[in-house]
Amino acid sequence: MGVTKEQVELSLKAKLNPSHLEVVDISGGCGASFVVEIVSEQFEGKRLLERHRMVNAALEEEMKQIHALSIKKAVTPEQWKQQQESNQSNPAA
Amino acid sequence: MQHSLKRRNETDSCFFLSRYRHRSSMATLNLSSLQALSSHRLCSSFPQNTPTPSFNFQLKPSINPRPISLKPYVSEKPRARVVALAVKSLGDTEALAVSPENDGPAGELPSGAGVYAVYDTNGDVQFIGLSRNIAASVAAHWKSVPELCGSVKAGVVDEPDRETLTQAWKSWMEEYIKDSGKVPPGNESGNATWVRQAPKRKPDLRLTPGRRMQLTVPLENLIDGLVKENKVVAFIKGPRSAPLCGFSQRVIAILENEGVDYESVNVLDEEYNYELRETLKKYSNWPTFPQIFVDGELVGGCDILTSMYEKGELASLFKK
Repeated sequence: MGVTKEQVELSLKAKLNPSHLEVVDISGGCGASFVVEIVSEQFEGKRLLERHRMVNAALEEEMKQIHALSIKKAVTPEQWKQQQESNQSNPAA
Repeated sequence: MQHSLKRRNETDSCFFLSRYRHRSSMATLNLSSLQALSSHRLCSSFPQNTPTPSFNFQLKPSINPRPISLKPYVSEKPRARVVALAVKSLGDTEALAVSPENDGPAGELPSGAGVYAVYDTNGDVQFIGLSRNIAASVAAHWKSVPELCGSVKAGVVDEPDRETLTQAWKSWMEEYIKDSGKVPPGNESGNATWVRQAPKRKPDLRLTPGRRMQLTVPLENLIDGLVKENKVVAFIKGPRSAPLCGFSQRVIAILENEGVDYESVNVLDEEYNYELRETLKKYSNWPTFPQIFVDGELVGGCDILTSMYEKGELASLFKK
């Protein structure tokens, strides 16, 4: 048995208290590969490497069964807001 | 070459005309009462060199082949024009400075197919080449012989089939030879400076002499020494030449594209790198592969390297 998407979401919510979280199972439902986008105040003042380590640590148990974890986004709420505004201005440009 | 041939024909034509006039004059002196007729006969008989009247009459049909022979010559012109349209002349093309900045994707050099000429800092042509990717070829030349790359002229060829590319290259070569009276140094036979050499792939590093040997130093110490003695080390799944997972493949592609000098370690090599995977995970506090170290410190995995690559942060990282 693999890890479920819900398990991943639950662990990340419990440990990192994200204001935005998106977890996608890219292994076709067998729970071997996930893509994660996460927004959390706990990333404030931390460089990218440490942020990824925090996500890895939050999923320590799940990582034992996960084949591949891709962290596409690990940003603070402020960065997230900037990116959202940037995306909105793109279509207008 | 077309122009050269054309000039030769003109020269020959003048020569023949001169001869004809000479003989015509003689004929007039000898056969004044038949001047017009004899002139015609002499003209038609010239190729055969047989002035006797009886033969002159028989050779009248020889007039016909001449109009036919003109057609092939005329048909060659359109081809020359096509080649001329495919690429500007060397003299009319503007030179672009060669620099590391220009080698990048934002550089001025076109990445399309075509012909290019490399000038040194004195403005002398060093090499004229053809390429499927002009920017990539010039970047390769810059890396191998930067002292000879001052500026470049590039002529992009649309619809670059082999013949069109070769024709464009020939037209630039002929133009240069015509102007300078010599072949570019880099194009002389035997000069291998500008030939694209097969890239020498570094071998993957091995942590141990092999399973049969007893380790006298803990594996952690070997890892620590390795990442600190080499500026860039990538621990990947599979060999550098054929990574066995998409993430490792992505990392190798980024490092190759950045042109950085790096070492690679195949964590799946059970003969020379056995037990490396578990030991490295603890050493780096990173659970997955690939892992990239720069200056002895973990940078991260595929995601972080990709993120830095897309933001243009890798150049400064590797230059520290």
